[in-house]
Amino acid sequence: MLVEDVLAGTVRSGTSVLFAAEGELISERAGVINLGTEGCMLTGALAAFAVTNATHSALLGVVAAVGAGALLASVHAFVVITCRANQLASGLAVSFLGLGLTSWLGAHYVSRSIHPLNRADIPALSDIPFVGPVLFQHDVLTYVGLALGPLIWLFLYRTRTGLILRATGENGAVAFAYGHSPTLVRYLAVMVGGALAAVGGAQLVLAYTLNWVENVTVGRGFVAVALVIFAGWEPLKATLGAFVFGGALALQLQLQARGVSISPFLLNMAPYVLTLAILVVASRGRAQRPPEEIRAVFGTTGA
Amino acid sequence: MEDQRQADPGPVQGMPEPGPDRAMSHPLALETRGLSKRFGEIQANDGIDLELRAREIHAILGENGAGKSVLAKTLYGVSVPDEGTILRDGREVVIDSPAKGRALGIGLVFQDFRLIPALSVLENVLLSLPTHGMRLRRRAVTAQIGDAAERYGLKIRPRARIRDLSMGERQQVEILKLLLSGARVMILDEPTSLLAPQEVDALGRVLRELRNEGLALALITHKLVDVRTMCDRVTVLRGGVVQVRGLDPAGLDDAKLVEAVVGRHLPQLRTRPRQPPPDDTPALEAVAIDVEAERGRLALTGVGLTVARGEIVGVAGVSGSGQRELADVALGLRRIRAGRLSILGRDVSDGRPAKVLAAGAAGVSEDPLATDVVRGLTVTEHMALSRLELRKRALGYDWHALERQVDELPEASILKIADGARQVSTLSGGNVQRVMLCRAFARDPGFLVAAYPTRGLDLANVMAAQELLIRHARAGAGVLLMSEDLDELFLLSDRIVVLHAGRVVASVDPDLTERHDVGSLMLGLAA
Amino acid sequence: MSSVRTGLPVPLRPTAKRWTRHPALARALGWGVFVVVAITILFPTFDVSLQDCLIRATPFVFCGLAVAVPARAGLVNIGGEGQFAFAMVVVTAAVLLVGDTLGAAVLIPLLVVAGLFGGMLWSGIAALLRVTVKLNEALCTLLLNFVAPLVLAYFVFGPWRDRSSFNLPVSKVFPDAARLPTYGVTQLHLGIVFAIAAAIAVWVVLDLTRWGFRARVVGGNPEAARRAGLPVNRIAFAALVAGGALAGLGGMVEVTGVEGVLRPNIGVGFGYIGFLASWLVGHRPLDLLGSSFLLGSISVAGDSLQINAGLPSTSVYVLMAVVLLLVLSIRGVATRGTS
Repeated sequence: MLVEDVLAGTVRSGTSVLFAAEGELISERAGVINLGTEGCMLTGALAAFAVTNATHSALLGVVAAVGAGALLASVHAFVVITCRANQLASGLAVSFLGLGLTSWLGAHYVSRSIHPLNRADIPALSDIPFVGPVLFQHDVLTYVGLALGPLIWLFLYRTRTGLILRATGENGAVAFAYGHSPTLVRYLAVMVGGALAAVGGAQLVLAYTLNWVENVTVGRGFVAVALVIFAGWEPLKATLGAFVFGGALALQLQLQARGVSISPFLLNMAPYVLTLAILVVASRGRAQRPPEEIRAVFGTTGA
Repeated sequence: MEDQRQADPGPVQGMPEPGPDRAMSHPLALETRGLSKRFGEIQANDGIDLELRAREIHAILGENGAGKSVLAKTLYGVSVPDEGTILRDGREVVIDSPAKGRALGIGLVFQDFRLIPALSVLENVLLSLPTHGMRLRRRAVTAQIGDAAERYGLKIRPRARIRDLSMGERQQVEILKLLLSGARVMILDEPTSLLAPQEVDALGRVLRELRNEGLALALITHKLVDVRTMCDRVTVLRGGVVQVRGLDPAGLDDAKLVEAVVGRHLPQLRTRPRQPPPDDTPALEAVAIDVEAERGRLALTGVGLTVARGEIVGVAGVSGSGQRELADVALGLRRIRAGRLSILGRDVSDGRPAKVLAAGAAGVSEDPLATDVVRGLTVTEHMALSRLELRKRALGYDWHALERQVDELPEASILKIADGARQVSTLSGGNVQRVMLCRAFARDPGFLVAAYPTRGLDLANVMAAQELLIRHARAGAGVLLMSEDLDELFLLSDRIVVLHAGRVVASVDPDLTERHDVGSLMLGLAA
Repeated sequence: MSSVRTGLPVPLRPTAKRWTRHPALARALGWGVFVVVAITILFPTFDVSLQDCLIRATPFVFCGLAVAVPARAGLVNIGGEGQFAFAMVVVTAAVLLVGDTLGAAVLIPLLVVAGLFGGMLWSGIAALLRVTVKLNEALCTLLLNFVAPLVLAYFVFGPWRDRSSFNLPVSKVFPDAARLPTYGVTQLHLGIVFAIAAAIAVWVVLDLTRWGFRARVVGGNPEAARRAGLPVNRIAFAALVAGGALAGLGGMVEVTGVEGVLRPNIGVGFGYIGFLASWLVGHRPLDLLGSSFLLGSISVAGDSLQINAGLPSTSVYVLMAVVLLLVLSIRGVATRGTS
């Protein structure tokens, strides 16, 4: 059944972007744009794949991904926070670093196989017709992903740390005047963001593609950055955005699988074009307010 | 500043000795000995001795650049002194960070408020409180805010966004924040500068409440009237040096204080009689204009306003009453939604800046650092973005010809603008403002929008700028003047229009009107 | 000190006097020395020739200029990659349409126009969205980079696939008239001259002309430009579209000068390397010639690394990224105190 397959595929293929988008959201809420999200996803994907390949433990793979993603993100953090370089340029360079490193180190893993992250059906719930296959017949990381949006919402709006994070993104000087270190907050936010993006990369190879190829993410990290803008820096809307992207991906795959006579290349464009389209729709609507500290860098205002 | 100028020079007497004083009986809360701080070439503070006692409101008086703000920041731990000691309750302390300052019960209300507009009152207060684990104590703190608000007569809604509050309300949030975090010494940096007269009265009441609760309050100001109406003792700073040390202001006459502040007698501003306008075409004619603010709300509603050539029209209003939108509209920077707008006889309802400038208008913006200073461009290149003639030469422009034109401008020498080769983004605020003023005055605009034209200038340049404004008006320019300083509006304007909530509520003659009546109008009360 | 958005270095000397001294030339000379040193270090180790480096550096110059021009107006163009690819599609379309009927003297200028037009079209999407709905151009151009290669793939796998090429996804081989002339027996093609000419032309436009001054005002503070009555949107649009045109010219030069056939994966990564090249030199067009040559040499060295050590060619991105991160960090630290 097409609708059910597409929706189930939406959840599965949207999860990697979801993690990356929520990670980027945390980073931007603290006032740092990280275009290196793409690199963090790649690094996480390779780390997860390599460790899972060696240890046969997907859990260890995910742990490795967290470490690798945070490490690469810390490079970006150092360059933009400590050295105060341009965020867009540094982020792109970090993505390149991730791409180059994973191509180089991952060359041996291209034809290897792994024991993937198993599907863990949730008892009872997974038997519900339609809803079961769509929501409750996935891998563990996908379940975590589904909960991630609300969790981050709680973190941002209902915890002290979340409040300090938002304050830092709005005005670092004020946060400093209250005795909080914007530098520390931003470092942590960027690294947590990188780690989440890396978990997204891990989910991509461990539960979706099930193998490693060079540049396996093909722009998902950049899409994640776009989705954060679409979401107006709100975690719940970012979840929605990730599933819109996932939906386009899933629909396109289902159409190809069903032998629809449209060139696969044109179908492959759909997720990117759709991302752009929802960005346009979002920016035509009510003016979104980005965190003050990144307005100057992103320049979504002015010409 | 106004008070200083109008101060009666009176007979010069010797400074009275610090006699037995009501406030002197209370314990010392904060004391500095020989505090010095240097920034590059400038000795901002030079051996400052200050005594701040509990149960007193202590004025620290001085003009811009006297070192008041630096002193405040040093006491709070934002900047660290080069020399000298600070004593809190008689014990020597080192305050090397704001956190340390707060831990010692010292709070600072910054002039430009340390509040985050995107967050609510509650969230801003929560942010300022000392840590209590991960959880936000939203309910408990909401109750605390309610209690404190009641006790000190503050009007604060915890859920309101700071962005939606008036300046007076924001200031009350600042004070509340300090109270809840346990401040016993409170320093207020220019607290009256953004307030309407009635809001100042309210502030005075709150401060007296706090004093009676046993707090030590230091009020940093450049206005004599603040000292007279609110303060128990006064310390005067000039050029980073203490001129008057902790005296009861009742024992000092105005002339004495003014001399302590400025160090010399200032000439009176020469006002000139109005001339008949050069022609009947008004500089600005707005008929029932509506202007939209950011989210579809109307910032100006049905505003009708005419500025004749040769006339200075002052615009009074509490911050956010629509002054910014009016200034923007008058320069074609915003489209009007309804009504009709013409400038120097040309219809400019469609809001195109180039058209308005071509009609002969010029402007000084409210916040030139944000809206006018171009990174990397020199003073001369900034002057190119004006009414001055910019001749073409080869593929580019003839910069030398422009430099010559600038050199010949009388305003350039009066305001002593920085060298043409300097980058504007590296200049100090006052120097930037002078460049902006010079640029606006260049080649005698027929209509001038002056938003806060004297902001950031020292006293001598304030006078120069005001004189230039009057001179240009008398030579036939229509001037639309915005100022946060009601005294300045009264001094310069031929007519004052009062904006309240985006509507013109009155148009008054400053010579026949009391300041307090204008204040009432600004607050939307019947005068 | 550098601009917040683009990192455009702010000239240290008074610009009014800049018309008589030309620090850009002096800097270009400095870069030359640096490059010579780089060559002497790189070349003994790897089996590469000066010719290969020059040929490889050429598209980097174009893609770098595609970043430098919008940067002057405060815009970040990450889309060189897509503009380059899309222009190659347009150029190939022109070759397939009229390549057999026209002589080189007519065809080459026509293809130049086609390349410029293709790049303009692709960057025009981002420019239009920028000025109409204020969509951030960096993200927009970046996302379009993932679309343009799919357009190219669609054509070479589909309608343009040459049946005589053993079913490989390549177009028909271009006729000689559609190939850029080369110098003597070498493979050095006319595109190298185009690249140098383009860099000089961009320098003249940005640093010496009235439009360049206005673009600098827009880039330095768009609100100030608006208040001065400048047509901010028009200048921003023109800058981004001109950037796309330059990248497009790079695509034209690559496909007609080097490849002579359209296939997938031509110039993959060139747009990004051009971005790095431009940032390395603070978007100064003349200096870009030096940085492009440097990155070209690294890239060629990377190819021999791939052949000799079996490493993927993308591994050289590591080196390039590290170089850029270092330069950004050092420049950032150096200018920290001034702002």
